[in-house]
Amino acid sequence: MNPPAILNEQIVLDALRQVIDPEIGCNIVDLGLVYGTAITGAKVTVQMTLTTPGCPMGESIAQGVQWALLGIEAVEDAAVEIVWDPPWNQGMMTEAAKLQLGLM
Amino acid sequence: MLTGLLALTTGAVWMVIRPAMLASYHYNQYVIALTHLFVLGWICSIVMGAMYQLVPVALETKLYSEKLARWQFAFHFVGFIGMVWMFRTWNMKQVGHFGSLLTVGVGLFVFNIACTLRRVPKWNVTATAVTAALCWISLTVLAGLSIATGKCVAESFDGSETNVGVFIGALRPLAGLVSRFDAISAMHAHAHLGGIGLFTMLIVGVSYKLIPMFTLSEVQSQRRAGLSVALLNLGLAGSFVTILLSSPWKLAFALVTITALALYGWELRAILRARKRRTLDWGIRYFLTAVALLIPLSIMAVVLSWPGLQANPFLGQLENLYGFVGLMGVVTLAIIGMLYKIIPFLVWFGVYSKHIGRAQVPALADMYSPRLQMIGYWSFLVALVVISVGILCESEIVVRIGALCFTTCIALLLVNAGKILAHAVRPRITSLVAIRPLKPIFT
Repeated sequence: MNPPAILNEQIVLDALRQVIDPEIGCNIVDLGLVYGTAITGAKVTVQMTLTTPGCPMGESIAQGVQWALLGIEAVEDAAVEIVWDPPWNQGMMTEAAKLQLGLM
Repeated sequence: MLTGLLALTTGAVWMVIRPAMLASYHYNQYVIALTHLFVLGWICSIVMGAMYQLVPVALETKLYSEKLARWQFAFHFVGFIGMVWMFRTWNMKQVGHFGSLLTVGVGLFVFNIACTLRRVPKWNVTATAVTAALCWISLTVLAGLSIATGKCVAESFDGSETNVGVFIGALRPLAGLVSRFDAISAMHAHAHLGGIGLFTMLIVGVSYKLIPMFTLSEVQSQRRAGLSVALLNLGLAGSFVTILLSSPWKLAFALVTITALALYGWELRAILRARKRRTLDWGIRYFLTAVALLIPLSIMAVVLSWPGLQANPFLGQLENLYGFVGLMGVVTLAIIGMLYKIIPFLVWFGVYSKHIGRAQVPALADMYSPRLQMIGYWSFLVALVVISVGILCESEIVVRIGALCFTTCIALLLVNAGKILAHAVRPRITSLVAIRPLKPIFT
């Protein structure tokens, strides 16, 4: 039997890096869409936004986040909360994402 | 979409085979057939199909009826092919019959989209523009049918008491009314209803939603955007009447339309300046180039609507060029640009959306070749310039060279469309890379 695992924010963010915004072609963590994570036992809640409120990919991305979280061994429950405040802007992107999108 | 691409390819090859269509004055059966092949087969097929997909997305609602959309496609498909064929053989009676089928399809389309618009939770400038476009497409079709009626009722009426005979007899007053207008003016008025009322209206209205979405920006002035749509409606209403009556006032309404387009360009510039995504992909570049082509088109509109202009062969060719740049420059380039955004999105959504987060899926831009897209862009511009020169110089050989270049661009588009559609047949899904191993707890 496998020993129980420690769940921390880094592991959650690594998992979320598997989820891309297909229109932009960059993962949602480096894009700055993930505003926060909360770990309560085996449950993870992610607070995130989308690049634009009318984003037609929004539902797919949120579903993808949930799948990615449930793909972590120690996670039994996952919730995704979409928020619009503060609105996303390019200053929230990591340098790697800015490089990828030609902003640097 | 496939119907539209097939019609575009057929039209491009037809231009190569018969360049005289563009190198000579446009009031002949072949040019009218080619125009309807492009307008109905290529542009309308794509626009209507895209509207069924995009209006619900752009306006955050659901399509009223997919079943009606399928019936509309059947009427549209049979109607436009029959019309193009009958225009080519100049059988106006059959044009009227196939045009009636097409009209049934347009009726279903307008009803379906209008019912969809009734569900829109938050009314905006895009919804207003789409509503206006529905009104203008209805008038365009009615005007076209009236022109066909005017041309064929006299020869069809035999005074018989059959139901058909009585129906044709009832159309005689309409035919009489239509025949009071100059035939070419009526055709130009009909063309402007469709070209500005449906296509330009949709380009303007829908781009107020899509360009901010694709460039991560937002409309900067709702007032300016709303005014541009309002003036476009006013300019078109006035242009239709003044073109039909060959009135010198058509210049005034051309200027109203140009003012509307200038406001649109101003707002688009503001949207782009505020964008969060700095690099513009080739799809957006196609679209923005199409919008930029509205400038030479507007200049030609001013020249051609100048009061007291005497008809001469050069002006005839300038009219050809005006129609060509409008349909094949502005509208076609805008559609190709948007297709590069819409087709990958639809295929991705259908194939990959359920796998995101569980497997590695491609981004939209990975589904086709940006290199082919870029070559297609430049070959399109070269084709546009060469064909334009050929039209003005009445040179068949120059038009043919340009048409060959145009066909190359279409071939590249088809290759890229094939690459995108191939994802629906053979999805490119790979396993996720290993997530960082979890540390065991040692107690």
